[in-house]
Amino acid sequence: MDVQGLQMTQNTPAPGVFKRNPPIAGEADAIEAAKNGDAEAFSKLYALHKRRVYTLCLRMLGNVSEAEDMTQEAFLHLFRKIGSFRGESAFSTWLHRLTVNLVLMHLRKKGLNLVSLEETINPSEEDTPKRDFGSRDPQLTGSVDRVALERAVASLPPGYRMVFVLHDVEGFEHNEIATMLECSTGNSKSQLHKARLKLRELLREPAQSDQPAGIKEVVV
Amino acid sequence: MTEPDFPDFDTMTPADFEKYLPEFFANGDGHVSTDPRLQKFLKNHPDCAALVRDLEAIADQARSLFEPRDPGEAVWNNIQKKLKQ
Repeated sequence: MDVQGLQMTQNTPAPGVFKRNPPIAGEADAIEAAKNGDAEAFSKLYALHKRRVYTLCLRMLGNVSEAEDMTQEAFLHLFRKIGSFRGESAFSTWLHRLTVNLVLMHLRKKGLNLVSLEETINPSEEDTPKRDFGSRDPQLTGSVDRVALERAVASLPPGYRMVFVLHDVEGFEHNEIATMLECSTGNSKSQLHKARLKLRELLREPAQSDQPAGIKEVVV
Repeated sequence: MTEPDFPDFDTMTPADFEKYLPEFFANGDGHVSTDPRLQKFLKNHPDCAALVRDLEAIADQARSLFEPRDPGEAVWNNIQKKLKQ
């Protein structure tokens, strides 16, 4: 199906409602048709949102196979539940939340209890970022290589990756993350900080083994 | 959002700074290096300033991570099969 002609509407969104996801022209009709079981409308909604859903899954899970499986699950879930969409938020916001919740459920089924981040998804001792105040290597301070950072994020322990992706990549606030992960905002802040420290550590490692550095050398 | 009880910024130690750093990042615009309250401390503690610069660089670059990409064709084929069942 050709959806290239679909354009984002130019309407000014209501504050807070469409913060990340303005409505898409033609989407409302497709939603209503999909609620009545129109297969073509399902196809249109998939074409409109597959990239965003898949990219979100990929960011949260860190591997292609699982991300594709969860994309499939998210759309199957969407098509079963679309009747419950009331339009109280943008459809893409609703779908985004639905996907995040499905991925979190998937991770819980895999044994990651996200209820208590500190106790249950804290990484093992060797994964914990080292506290290295006072051991500064001035050659490592500077800008960050995007590809190296993507690799480092993918290698983070799942709990760290989840909070880092939700906050720094997806733009959720700590209180929103706390609600999703059923933890305190303080816990979310703490996990994000540990995730960034771990990433810094991972990005410094190549430089120590004479490989291309993730954090580029700059003059200080 | 209420601010936590931060230590005295003039007498704060690097250990204090480490303890409160997640809160410093969470308050304001997420850029600790430009927080006027911390300028003197960061100037006097270059190791802490270097750490802040690195963490800010990571957070800033995060916004451009993982360019959007499409799932494989098989995903839609599988969805269609399951919908028909």
